[in-house]
Amino acid sequence: MPPDNGGYATAAYIIVAVVVMLYTAVLWRRGRER
Amino acid sequence: MTLDSAAATRSIRRGRLLTLVALLGLAGLYVLAIQFTPTERFQGLAQKIFYVHPPAAYAMQLAFVVTGVTSALYLWLRDPRLDAVAEASAEVGMWMGAIVVITGPIWGRPAWGVWWAWDPRLTFTLIELMVFAGYFALRTAVQEPEERAKFAAVVGITALVLVPFNHLTVYLFASQHPTPVVLDPSALGSPDKKLPPAMLRTFLTGMGVFTLLYLGFVMQRYGIGVRRLIREYDHAS
Repeated sequence: MPPDNGGYATAAYIIVAVVVMLYTAVLWRRGRER
Repeated sequence: MTLDSAAATRSIRRGRLLTLVALLGLAGLYVLAIQFTPTERFQGLAQKIFYVHPPAAYAMQLAFVVTGVTSALYLWLRDPRLDAVAEASAEVGMWMGAIVVITGPIWGRPAWGVWWAWDPRLTFTLIELMVFAGYFALRTAVQEPEERAKFAAVVGITALVLVPFNHLTVYLFASQHPTPVVLDPSALGSPDKKLPPAMLRTFLTGMGVFTLLYLGFVMQRYGIGVRRLIREYDHAS
């Protein structure tokens, strides 16, 4: 029976998505500046 | 002057499109990893961090290699666009590095029992990121574009040495960090050591998604950097 540690994977996936979307937003905003 | 404002705008637009594709790919990767990839017997669901952590580490190292190579090319050719690529790649490398040093401890806690260990691989990754933090501190400190590019290029090339060394830390030292699973030479010819096909498929998808993220981010950041260089040169003239 595998250990019940799905919370760690969930946290990692959420953090990766947040970091990637945050940088996307940063670049989007900087890309709009002329 | 080799800097072209229209080309910078095109690079930003193409980078945005590629980033959008990569974000959809990331969503697809999550579905693939959660729904269609078996759970590892001993590590449980925490092993699924494997589908984002090594791909982010690979993207980080790719970014720093590109910075090192374009830095060397800049010192040779003195083309400001090469400096813009080096800077863009280093910045994306820092963001990928952030993902690496956040997801690593989240896996380490259930697998090793601790969030952080002063293991050679972990320590060296931290040093690598600190060197690149210094790279940006240097860029901020020097205002003149050509001087800034020249000094930064020297740091970029020097830091390139860290990339293969970091890769080798798991072999050179008594490290508890896992050695490569997919590119493990000892797994050749021994099916029990090979990654199961469903896990390999998800892992390779992760590598593809992070490559696209890297390219999309760098193209956008390159365009932003070129625009800033054009402003600086216009201001100076």
